[in-house]
Amino acid sequence: MMRKVIEVILLVLLLFFTAHSTGNLHSPPGKPALTSCRSPEKETFTCWWKPGSDGGMPTTHALYYRKESSETVYECPDYHTAGENSCFFNKKDTSIWINYNITVVATNALGRAFSDPVEIDVVYIVKPNPPEKVTVTVMEDKGWPFLRVSWEPPHKADTRSGWITLIYEIRVKLEEENDWEMHLAGQQKMFNIFSLRSGGKYLVEVRCKPDHGFWSEWSSTSYIKVPDYFHREKSAWILITVFSACTFLILTWLLHMNRQYLKHCILPPVPGPKIKGFDQQLLKNGKSSEIFSALVMPDFPPTASSNYEDLLVEYLEVYVPGEQELVLEESKDLHHVCLKSESSTSDSDSGRGSCDSHTLLIDKCGEAKEERRQTDQACSQIRTEAQRRLKDALTHGGVVSSDMSSGRVKTWPSVFSPLPRYSPSPLDQQSSLQMAKQHSLSTSSYLTQPGHSAKEALGQSYWDFCLSGKQPHLLTPQTLVSRELQAHSDVNISSIGLKRAPAGLRSPALHTTEYVGVQRVSNEDMVLLQPVVSGCGRMEGCFQVPQGEVYSKVKGVDSDNVLLLQREGMEEDRCPCVDQETNEETGNCHTLNTVSNTRKPSACVYTAMPVQDEIAPMVNGYVDSATMCTLHTC
Amino acid sequence: MKNVLFAVLTLVYLELSMTVVAAPICAYGQAGCHVLSLVDLFERVIQQSSRMHGISSDLHSEFEQDFFPRENLVGKRRCHTYGILTPDDKENAQRLGREQLTEVILRLLGAWGDPLSQLYRSMSQDQNQDFNHYSSNKALEISDMVHDLREGVAIMAEEMKLLGGLGNTVGYISPGSLVPSAFSFHTQGELNSMDHHDLLSCFRRDSNKVKNYLRILKCTTLPGLDC
Repeated sequence: MMRKVIEVILLVLLLFFTAHSTGNLHSPPGKPALTSCRSPEKETFTCWWKPGSDGGMPTTHALYYRKESSETVYECPDYHTAGENSCFFNKKDTSIWINYNITVVATNALGRAFSDPVEIDVVYIVKPNPPEKVTVTVMEDKGWPFLRVSWEPPHKADTRSGWITLIYEIRVKLEEENDWEMHLAGQQKMFNIFSLRSGGKYLVEVRCKPDHGFWSEWSSTSYIKVPDYFHREKSAWILITVFSACTFLILTWLLHMNRQYLKHCILPPVPGPKIKGFDQQLLKNGKSSEIFSALVMPDFPPTASSNYEDLLVEYLEVYVPGEQELVLEESKDLHHVCLKSESSTSDSDSGRGSCDSHTLLIDKCGEAKEERRQTDQACSQIRTEAQRRLKDALTHGGVVSSDMSSGRVKTWPSVFSPLPRYSPSPLDQQSSLQMAKQHSLSTSSYLTQPGHSAKEALGQSYWDFCLSGKQPHLLTPQTLVSRELQAHSDVNISSIGLKRAPAGLRSPALHTTEYVGVQRVSNEDMVLLQPVVSGCGRMEGCFQVPQGEVYSKVKGVDSDNVLLLQREGMEEDRCPCVDQETNEETGNCHTLNTVSNTRKPSACVYTAMPVQDEIAPMVNGYVDSATMCTLHTC
Repeated sequence: MKNVLFAVLTLVYLELSMTVVAAPICAYGQAGCHVLSLVDLFERVIQQSSRMHGISSDLHSEFEQDFFPRENLVGKRRCHTYGILTPDDKENAQRLGREQLTEVILRLLGAWGDPLSQLYRSMSQDQNQDFNHYSSNKALEISDMVHDLREGVAIMAEEMKLLGGLGNTVGYISPGSLVPSAFSFHTQGELNSMDHHDLLSCFRRDSNKVKNYLRILKCTTLPGLDC
């Protein structure tokens, strides 16, 4: 029962609600709202509203406005120009710098709805139209393109009279990009855009705004395509790149080819030490003592134990009668030596000394002497000097030293001479003297020695030229010095030897073998010797002697003061023997000469010999003046 | 005594001559001075007015954000310069003519000298810290600008008179004669924030008028690329 009542009530309520829902429910309209009011040129303006719900019934809207400081309410003059739900205020109705109070009213059958009032000042709601006639052109500036955009203000906006002032803005972008590039142009109506991409397609748009207002909409898009202008740029760059690459390659190749030379030029090799005996490996590895010991040469400096005799070059051989052979040999060698040393091929050995000496043949052979001296340089002078010295020595000493007989007087070699042949020196005094002389290299030292021989030594520079037979070529000052030394030594030796030596008819050291030709034997037991020179024929008494062909050596002196000559068998037919004594052994023609001492110190260089009458004046043989002189005390 | 008087007169003369124009231009064509052309004068004046309007607009927007949600601006009070008849659209402004337009400009500028000074004083002395430092500086700036702009416009008007662009009807207008009686609240004591707001909104409008009138004046006098 109760249930039925509830159901009926529910049914009635349902019917009631459905009748409501299906039918139009009329109500007053909803509240409209003004959305915006805008003025395009500051002379007119338009307001738009949005209506509310209409309430199911036809609703009308009306806009009412009131001006500042006036209570008069006006209605919108134009609802249609601007479209639906809009109100357009024309110039007549528009006042600037005056506040408008605008209200929209929605009205339907059931009621009205008022919107909220809005205060506006037209000055602050200006939103112009977009700029018009936008043109974009591509222009060039020194080969580089740029865009020139130009436009005009919207035709409605009166900027010409200054009523409205517009500022513009441009935006540019490439077609394929999304970001625009904005440029504010100010009040100008033209703008340049640089930094373009070659061959790009650009979009350009412009908009404007009054100095206090709203931005306009963007103008319609302008499309522009920038032409390709990088061809000549690129080609130039390509050329430059290729050229520089080629140059670089060439330079690299040149450097590579000459790297050794450049390396040598820039970093010159450091010269290594060139010390004899210096071992770099030893330096790196070894100790200092080893290094320095390696530097020491084994034979330098010469130690004290060296034999000074080794430094001698030659030897003066002084022969005792028992050793005449040796003397002859030696003289022969010396003769050979002298031949070598001399430049002239002529035989200058024979007989020169006799002419040069100022004894017997001095007058006759004066010219010859001069000639000889001119032609024969060293050897002749040497021999002359030698004879003189010998003479002097003999005169000084008076007694020929016999000490020399057993030994040899050593000459003074130059220090640079090769080591001569060795010969023992029994003469200690001589050797000591030589040692002393060897060590001192100054001529003054020699001069301080026996002074009487100083002058003689000075002129004996040529002495050693033949003496140092092993080096005939040495004419250096050193050899000169050595020669002087040798000369000094020789003189001293000779002199000293003469001093020391007891009386003896044996001659001191004489190293020259002088060959003289025996001219004749005088009645006074003197053998006249003639020099052997080709040019000596003029003089009387100077017999022409064949050069170097026939000479005899003094073999010895026998007990009877006979000079034993040994003649070599060159021309046997010309073998005038003064005093011949055949040598059964050799078969040669011997001319025996006796040498007797003379007491004429200065005059007698020649040997005075007892001469037999049968001795022919012509003696083709040569007498070794050395040996002859030794038999004299000249 | 005579020397002292002479010295005093010299100093007074110098001070007066120096205070005539703030900008170092020779408006009177003195010898040795660089005479500015009318175009340059217009440019300077317009720029100055534009700046002034910008600053006042900023001040007003700051004020409105901080203190007033969206209130009725001038519904309750009028600006004190309502007595100055100003053209309210383009036709009226163009119909007005250059001389009157110049006069209106000068009037407007003259009417705002004192109020702006008072506004600045009031803002700087505000005890409840309603205004920050920058707002008071802006108020000071615009008050100085008003003075400078007025002098500049006067010089420009004189130049135009010399060139024949203006008639002789434009005379020197003293600010005192323009002040309507409505603007007497400066004597009422301190300005409250409502007063500040009203003043700023009124000044914003008037500076806009000045700017616009100057532009019209320029474009009618010297039509060029800018117009």
